[in-house]
This record gives sequence, structure tokens and C-alpha cells, in this order.
Amino acid sequence: MVSKDCVAMILAGGQGSRLGALTKKVAKPAVAYGGKYRIIDFPLSNCVHSGIDTVGVLTQYQPLELNTYIGNGNPWDLDRNRGGVYVLPPYQSAKAGKWYKGTANAIYQNIGFLENFNPENVLILSGDHIYKMHYGKMLKAHQESGAAVTIAVMPVPWEEASRFGIMNVDADGYIVEFEEKPAAPKSNLASMGIYIFNYGLLKKYLTEDENDPESANDFGKNIIPKMLANHEKMMSWSFDGYWKDVGTVYSLWEANMDLVDTPPKFEISDRSWSIYSRNHALAPHYIGYHAKLANSAVTEGCTIEGCVTHSVLFGGVSVGEGSEIEDSVIMQGAVIGKHAKIKRAVVGAGAVVGDGVQIGTEERADNQYASPMCTHGVVLIEGGVTLEAGSVIPRGSMVEAEV
Amino acid sequence: MRDTMGIIITNDEKIPPVTDVRAIAALPIAGRYRVIDFVLSNMANAGLTNIGVATETNYSSLMDHIKSGKPWDLDRKNEGLNILPPNLANLSYGGVRGDIDMLQGISDFIRRSRQTYVILSLGNTINNIDFDAVLEAHLQNQADITMLYRDMTGVEERELSRFNLIDINEEGRITDIEVKPYYPKTALAGMDIYIMEKALLESIIDECTARGDHDFIKDALNKKLGGMRIFGYEFEGYSDKIDSLKSYYRNCMLFLNKDVRDELFNPERPVYTKTKDQAPTKYTDSAVVENSFISDGCVIEGEVRNSILSRGVRVAKGAVVRNSIIMQDAVIDEGVTLDYVVFDKEVHITKGRRLIGQESYPLAVSKRMTI
Repeated sequence: MVSKDCVAMILAGGQGSRLGALTKKVAKPAVAYGGKYRIIDFPLSNCVHSGIDTVGVLTQYQPLELNTYIGNGNPWDLDRNRGGVYVLPPYQSAKAGKWYKGTANAIYQNIGFLENFNPENVLILSGDHIYKMHYGKMLKAHQESGAAVTIAVMPVPWEEASRFGIMNVDADGYIVEFEEKPAAPKSNLASMGIYIFNYGLLKKYLTEDENDPESANDFGKNIIPKMLANHEKMMSWSFDGYWKDVGTVYSLWEANMDLVDTPPKFEISDRSWSIYSRNHALAPHYIGYHAKLANSAVTEGCTIEGCVTHSVLFGGVSVGEGSEIEDSVIMQGAVIGKHAKIKRAVVGAGAVVGDGVQIGTEERADNQYASPMCTHGVVLIEGGVTLEAGSVIPRGSMVEAEV
Repeated sequence: MRDTMGIIITNDEKIPPVTDVRAIAALPIAGRYRVIDFVLSNMANAGLTNIGVATETNYSSLMDHIKSGKPWDLDRKNEGLNILPPNLANLSYGGVRGDIDMLQGISDFIRRSRQTYVILSLGNTINNIDFDAVLEAHLQNQADITMLYRDMTGVEERELSRFNLIDINEEGRITDIEVKPYYPKTALAGMDIYIMEKALLESIIDECTARGDHDFIKDALNKKLGGMRIFGYEFEGYSDKIDSLKSYYRNCMLFLNKDVRDELFNPERPVYTKTKDQAPTKYTDSAVVENSFISDGCVIEGEVRNSILSRGVRVAKGAVVRNSIIMQDAVIDEGVTLDYVVFDKEVHITKGRRLIGQESYPLAVSKRMTI
């Protein structure tokens, strides 16, 4: 196992504005996923399993829920005497108080934190990706190559390559060129936003970048191109597992469906790589006499009397008799009444769906709830919303709580 | 509830084969819990922050479960949850002969605790009690000792004989206690939970030990019924104790009853337990499930009816599990039929086997067996 030679910094300030009502009150890394997780559970659990026990979580947008969720880090075994998890919000200094201007600036403002641990390497992660990765293996490759920075890359379908930051690498894996969303990509290796920097060099580049008034203070836009221009030794590290950036309502829905497909596109039940999360003290789930379950994931605390197909149910959800739920994600504590029909929907935490409600069952041209956030016909019901008995919510709707 | 400490006595009573490897208090129950979680959570929910768990001999499983006390929010800098290993000196007298011996073994812990009151309970009780209300009644009655009981009128005699039966007067004062009598005279069953001043408990332990007495009820309470104000507190909710395979099986099956579930898992007083971070349970398209209580981390491809499944159980396609209690990580292969069985942890039953018990005699299989 590797130890203090690497400190991880998780960028968790993102708003995730295309997630609509899901990120109204929480930052994207705190968005719920997979029945009992928050997205940030993935990088945090990956760190612990990779032997990295010192993690800074940089927050900015709507930090309350994320801060509360992380707490002292105990659920991830990150309540340590030396190290552990630290939530790092922007702060006021003697000269000025500054919001994080960009990803690079966020790390720059926390050089003081890194100095405490004086690590050899710094692992920069994004708090809004779902994947299981052994950072220790990447770190080993980084140390063996002696590179200034190692960047995790993964092959993406060629037709989608122009949506990503593309790394052009040579036969030995050295990065020779970086193109942000190229129109004509030369390679299909996309940057995953996972970097391991030599700390000394990182500090140097961050400081230079901070002093450049023209810079957007962003890793992808500024730091990486600058290092390339200076001919630093930059390595790629190839990853071919499941990786998902849940940037939109549709991709969050899709990522949940990936868990319940046959066979699942993403397997989270592997006990050697458990994904840790903060637990609710809920009893096992109860399946009633008239329930029918197929290809679904159900969490503790649920009471199921209806029919659930190809869906993910979070803890404490209840589904009344005669209700049918298909291709949907029902979040923590939502209450589904009797004879409701829910198709292709994300129902937020604590929402109440009355008897006979129909969600996502029909297409309507004059849909008052239609939202550009809800593509591919997915419906999003914000957490805490109550849908009166008999309401009909057409495909592609976003139903928000009244403020 | 301030100024009250808790003492939980976990003894070595046996329920073969499921207590071969652990104390009853550490027995898995209701899918994701251990028996002791109920009394521990009751105490934690009442705000007790100093709890001692007295152990007899078979306590490693209990320690593994409780560890720092974190799930009950009892990992405290001062006090918190303390597992108290047995005082080996007791063994030289021929072992623990009664609960007084166990209390004597932890008398140092009791003495140095700073609280005025103490709740004393056995570790095998299953209920969800508001201890605040009990303490309030205790104070109102100006009682020396308050003993919790249930009115079990209508329950058959053999069943009543499992309990310490009490008689009370109009005032609520206990006038008689009989320890598990064969011919019950009353149907008021003690729940093995008491509240009193800590100083009184200390003097009882001291007095009994000095006289060579061993039993809290027979030697202490019964002799003091006249002199001390010993009151009953009637608990009207669901409560039972785990003292036999039959009571274990019956208690487990009662979790399928909505009223019992709603009462025991009252969201205002949750039952806490050690978490295992398992993924949600998966049901494939061949799964058929009815009236069952299922924990996280299972994979269900077969048929499950009227059963309780702990975490990480696998039921293969074509397997049928009925009226059974399956503990953690059991593997049930294709075409297996189970009816009225209790599987301890990590049992593996191979393809096509059938195991059929009876409701009055569930078939119990010990830990890690392969059938």
C-alpha cells in the first residue's frame, strides 16, 4: 500500500447546472446515486481502497449538505489522527477573500493545506464522476516513469471524441498534445480529469498561473497546455473500466440504469472494493404479498407492495399496491401511493406521489412541465414535491417544488 | 435522560447451534441486526452515554459487533460504550452462578461511574422502549426499584413459565416474584429490565456477595419486597426475549407483521447497528418474492416467501426459500428447497438439496456448513 507520498484533492465545488432541480440545493458531488450513495462516495472510497488516507474536498457551491455528509469522514474510514478527510471551502485571507476562480486556483488557494503534509505527489480528482479506480496503480506508474504529471485517459467512441479533452500520446504513453474538444480528433483518448502531479512542480505551475492575469486558472485550459509547452515529462495512464460523468438528468438516470441492466454495465457489489457511504439506520426492506420485482435494486427501509421493474429504489421508499414502476430511480424516502404508474423517471428524495398518478406514461405537445433539462423523455420530480392523486406528468417534464 | 447509566448483562445461555459461536446478545436477528442492538439502541435513544456490557465467556463476536460503539453514537472521549470482560476470579469459584456474580465482576466500573440512576437489563430483550417514561414513573412512585413487566393474560402456561412472574397491589407495588415457575400464578411477566439508584445497586451487589448469594431476584429483590418500594412498570408494547430456538424463530417471523415492524423500527427511536456498506439488494427477472424482510447486499434470482434474509444472501434461480431465517452470506444454489429452516452465517446449500423443518421445530444449521 502507498501512504503519505500522495495527498488527494477532490474538486467538489461544481454546481452541475444541467442537473436541474437535483442540484438546486446541493452541489453535484452530493447528488444521490445507486440506491444509497452520493457521487462523492466513489472518489472517497477509491482513495481509501488505494491507500490514500489524506483527502481535501474543495467545496464552493451549496456546501452545507456536502459538509454535513462528509462530517468527520468516519463512513469512509477517513477519521484519522494524521490525515483523514478535510472539507476545504474558499476562505478570507489577510489580503482578500476569494472564491475559487477555477480548478487550478482552487488548489492554489489550498497550498497551505498541502504544505502541512508536504506530499511527494498530489492526486487531483473530480467529485462528480462515478467509477472504481485503483489510484495506487496509477501512482506507481507515475513514480516509475518519473513524470511531472500523469493523466488518466480512457478511450471514448470516436464519434464522441470531439466532446472531450483529447490527449494525443506517443507509443510509450507520453502525452505529446492536448486538444480541448477538437473538431477533428487525432486520438480517442479522453482525459478523465484525474491528474497526479509531482507536488514541487505543481506548486511552481500553480504559482505562475496565479500570477498570470490572462489565465482562466483551469487545469485543462491553462496548466496542462503550459506544461506541454515547457516540454515537461507528461504521461498518460490508461483506464478501461466503467466511468461516467453524470452531467445531465439523462446521464444520471442512465448511470442508475447501468446498475440494473442484465448484465449490469457497472457492478458495485464487489466486496473487495466496497463503496462506502453514510448510512441511514433503516430496517431491512419489506416485500409484501402482491409485489413483483424484476431487474431492480432495492435498499433497506423500503416497503414494496407494487410492481418494480428495471429500477433503483433508495432507502425508505414505499410503493403502494397496484403501482407500477419501470425504468426509474426513486430516491430516499419517496412515497408512491397505490395504482400509480411511473416510467422513465427520477423521483427526488421525500417526494410524495399520490394514488393513480401517471408519470412519464404519455407524450404531450402542450406540456406545462416540459424542460430542456429533461432530455430523452426522462421525467424529473424534485425532492419533497407532492403530486396530488390522479395527476398526469408527461414525458420530458421537470416538476419543481414551489418556492 | 440525564444522570443515568446503563448496564447490559450478556450471559452464556445456550441456543444450540446458533450460540455455539457467540452469546445470545450477539445473535443475528431481523436481517441486519444483532439481538443486543435493541437494548443498546433503547439506551442510546434515551440519551445514556455511559453503558457497560457485562460478558461471561463467549464474547468475541459481541466485541466485534460493538467495537467503539460508533453506530450508537457511543464512541465518546469520556465514558461511552464499554465491553467489560468477565472477572476471571469468578471462575475460580466454579464460574458464574448468577447475575450477581457478573455484576460483582464489573463492580469497579459501576463504582467509578458518576450517574445517579442505573438501567439494568439483560442483553436478550427485543423491544423499543422509551426509558424516559420509565424513569419518570420511577421518580413519581418514589420507588427504590422499578421492574418492567408485561401483562401476558391469555398466553398459555408453558409460555409464561419462561418468565419471572410478578404480583402487584393496586398501588403498583410488587408483592411477589417467582422465577420461571412451572405453575404460573399470575400472567405478569418481568422483562428483565430494572431501574434504580446506582448506589442501591452497589449495596445490593455488595450485600449479596458478602453473604455468598448469586441471584438478583431470588436473593436480593424477593427478600426486600417488604422493606423496599419495588414497583412494576407495565410496558404495553411488543416485547419478548430470545431464550430458545423457538422464541428466536417466532420473534424473527413476527418482523413480517407490519404492526410489530412499525413499533420496533419506530423512526423516532431507530434501532442502530454496525453497518456493512453492502450494495442494495438485486432482484433479477426470475425473482419471486412475497411477504419477506430482506437486507442489503442480497442477490435474489429464485423464490422467497415468508422469510427473513440477512445481508449478502444469494438465492439462485429455481431455488425456493419458505418460512426460513437465513443469516448473512448464505449461498443457496439452484433448485434447492428450504422450508422452516434457520441458517447460521455462511451456510452453503448445494444444487437440488431439500431441507424441511417444521414450524414447531425449525431446522437449524450451524455456521459455515456446506450441505
